[in-house]
Amino acid sequence: MNVADNLSKPPVKKMNWDWVGVAPFFIFAIVFLFLPSLSIFYRSFQANDGGFTFDNIIALFTVRDIINAYKTSLQISLITAVGGAVFGFLLAYAVVLGGLPRGIRTFMSTFSGVASNFAGVPLAFAFIATMGNAGLVTRWIEGIFNISTRELGFSIYNMWGLSIVYMYFQFPLMVLIMAPALDGLRREWREAAENLGGNTYHYWRYVAFPILMPSLLGTMILLFGNAFGAYATAYAFSGSFINLVTILIGAQIQGDVLYNPGLGNALALGMIFIMGLSMAGYVWMQRRAARWMR
Amino acid sequence: MAFLEINNVSKKFGATEAVSDFNLQIEKGELVSFLGPSGCGKTTTLRMVAGFEMPTDGRIVMDGKDITDMPANQRDVGMVFQSYALFPNMTVAGNIGFGLKIMKKSAEETNQRTKEMLDLINMPEYAHRYPYQLSGGQQQRVALARALALRPDVLLLDEPLSALDAKIRVSLRAEIRDIQRKLGITAIYVTHDQEEALSLSDRVVVMNAGKMEQVGTPFQIYNFPETNFVASFVGTLNTAEAEVVDPARGLISMDGVQFVSADDLNGRKKGDKVRMSVRPERFNFADDQKKDNLLDCTIENITFLGSVVRIQVKIGKTVFNMDTFNNPFLELPKIGDNGQVTCSKEAVLVISH
Amino acid sequence: MKKINIWAWIILFIGMIYFFLPLISTLEFSMKMIKDRYTFEAFRVAFTDRVFFERFGYSVLWALLTITLSTLLVVPTAYWVHWKLPKARPFVEFVTLMPFVVPAVVLTFGFIRLYARPPFFLNDRPILLIAGYIILSLPYMFRAVDTGLRAIDVRTLTEAALSLGAGWGTILTQVIFPNLRVAILSGVFLTFAIVMGEFTFASLLAKPAFGPYMEEIGSMRAYTPQALSLVSFLLTWASIGLLQWIGRGRVQEQVAGAH
Repeated sequence: MNVADNLSKPPVKKMNWDWVGVAPFFIFAIVFLFLPSLSIFYRSFQANDGGFTFDNIIALFTVRDIINAYKTSLQISLITAVGGAVFGFLLAYAVVLGGLPRGIRTFMSTFSGVASNFAGVPLAFAFIATMGNAGLVTRWIEGIFNISTRELGFSIYNMWGLSIVYMYFQFPLMVLIMAPALDGLRREWREAAENLGGNTYHYWRYVAFPILMPSLLGTMILLFGNAFGAYATAYAFSGSFINLVTILIGAQIQGDVLYNPGLGNALALGMIFIMGLSMAGYVWMQRRAARWMR
Repeated sequence: MAFLEINNVSKKFGATEAVSDFNLQIEKGELVSFLGPSGCGKTTTLRMVAGFEMPTDGRIVMDGKDITDMPANQRDVGMVFQSYALFPNMTVAGNIGFGLKIMKKSAEETNQRTKEMLDLINMPEYAHRYPYQLSGGQQQRVALARALALRPDVLLLDEPLSALDAKIRVSLRAEIRDIQRKLGITAIYVTHDQEEALSLSDRVVVMNAGKMEQVGTPFQIYNFPETNFVASFVGTLNTAEAEVVDPARGLISMDGVQFVSADDLNGRKKGDKVRMSVRPERFNFADDQKKDNLLDCTIENITFLGSVVRIQVKIGKTVFNMDTFNNPFLELPKIGDNGQVTCSKEAVLVISH
Repeated sequence: MKKINIWAWIILFIGMIYFFLPLISTLEFSMKMIKDRYTFEAFRVAFTDRVFFERFGYSVLWALLTITLSTLLVVPTAYWVHWKLPKARPFVEFVTLMPFVVPAVVLTFGFIRLYARPPFFLNDRPILLIAGYIILSLPYMFRAVDTGLRAIDVRTLTEAALSLGAGWGTILTQVIFPNLRVAILSGVFLTFAIVMGEFTFASLLAKPAFGPYMEEIGSMRAYTPQALSLVSFLLTWASIGLLQWIGRGRVQEQVAGAH
């Protein structure tokens, strides 16, 4: 009897049909996100004749142009992430907690929505018209101080110039994300801190900053990735001497210089690796910073 | 001179007057409640004592020192907020020790005091928890400990229990009162819950629309309301329109039904309109004993409230609530029955019209 | 408070200079088409270019396709995660964050290597382009819809609808979508803004669109591209402003309806 019972009830794990509901989403993600990423990984180790090779990966660390491109990309991303975070935070603070008229907040949030997506050719044109060789600001400075900005060593076509341009979309992105986080600071926390004898410094040092830290860090990583992956804006400055990783990959796709699909894959893999690393770093830092969160 | 004096304080927000001409002397060790509906100015008054709002007019004097213009972070007051306002990024110990850390007390003293406070609120084992790991009641106890850690002269509580559920409210209320008595600390307690105010205060200030309506002990406030607002806001009250019949004998008439009241009706004329009121628990079913008022009634409705049974009786054309204690042998009348109820003449209050 | 106020104004002032100088400069430059005079000639020329309208139209088409498909993909998924599968949330969130990890240029590279060659040839049609745009829109769409779902009680609404005999199609179209209109709309407008100015996918996948068009005329002509840059900025701004306005109207309507 026991045997029969066991046979009639085979220990089949019941299939969870709930997962079917999210299947289209995951299938889409697999086809258009993970398979392409996987193919990049796989082909990074493929030589032109189809055989396995480490040459492409080695090239990442040995070819001078590539090293420089990574260096420049990283520098610009770091500068604009930190710069954008600092100024964006200040601006968000001014708008949310600075006691400015309510209308400015609304204005700022729509404007930030636009400016954070203002990239590529239009952005390049705008800054060329501002700080290019015949730009409005360039002419002002030359008119007022009677010196050429180029003699001062400033050019919109170098790394610092491009950083200023990138800041135009970095900065509003920070405002967009930090504004709700600043809204989340409750008035009672400030009052409780005051009631316990704390001043503004104590409040920010011990309460507000620690509470904001996870969103601050998270947004900075986001800004970093945003700059690191930017292609259109840099491309629009074509003819400049700035070599970014995205530009090199774009060139590989269009098959201009040094056409080598394996190398292109390796370049792309390098980007994914750095982005993945920064994301992982973010998760780790946020866990640490946020052990007091639900 | 009283320990805490609030003298002629008023506060305007733009054109609206949130608090007008507030006057109160609080003795050392006293617990005073501000009771009133939301928007009556009770919290604003409390926040002026804390230093979060500046009075438009008047002075606040604490222990002989004028603190009206003193910044909040220099006042010797502790505050407990309605929403707890615990710092979410700090542990329980961190929250309680926050004020001590700012005062740059030694680690030893901070730890010692924090431990003391944790014992006071009966949560010694929770020192290293974060606020989100605590229940609402526990959070509010920590907030209380945090406010007391600096040994302030005055403790301010802004509706500390209103976010909690009924059971915890009652037990925590008793705990707050115990701690306040034990420390002998002067306290102001803001609430919109009359039961809370009556049960834990030495004195109650009833407020409405920015003005003080009545100040008195819970006993005075409940039994001898001075204004219509106090009478209707504190406790359940039956009120009805009536007419003076004979001022000398305290006779009034409500829709032709005569009541006798112990209240002083001198100064009123026959035919004056007044408002009369009787607390539900002051009615009784008629028995053999002689009572001042013996009234014919019809039973309209019976509601079982647990320890109390509320019976709606129609006297004349008006429905009154009558409360009687529940007991298993109680013989309840049926809806639609006719009967008689009584009440003493002291129970019939005549409030100004 | 007073001190903070002054600082707030100063920071705002600096920010405004930084934000508006480039726009003003672009305007100034675009108005110099005719020598020694400020005119709007560049704008007139830009708007008489037939190719402009054609490319702009393509971008609108891509945007509409992206919005439709992205909504159809994200809303049921987010709804399902709220209603049946909270377990899947971390995975879905992970996927929606991927566009930040895999930059557009990298994704395009992967697309071309994998799907634009035998046996797929997917790039003969705008499939890859739209797929890329959907991926780009995921973080915004998912976040918007997720916030919207948090605000309504999905479980109660669904159970109420089920107990009234509604099927899944009815629940999604009659109950969930209408309640999420505002949330979806905010995701939709952002997606629209992103797709309209997008350059990387369109350019590298060699599809006609507004972004690459600007780049093309930028290398051929002066003045008109600047005029178009400004117009595209203002158009996006207007559409986001419109979104805020509609969103606010709806919220008030709902509040009024509750009373």
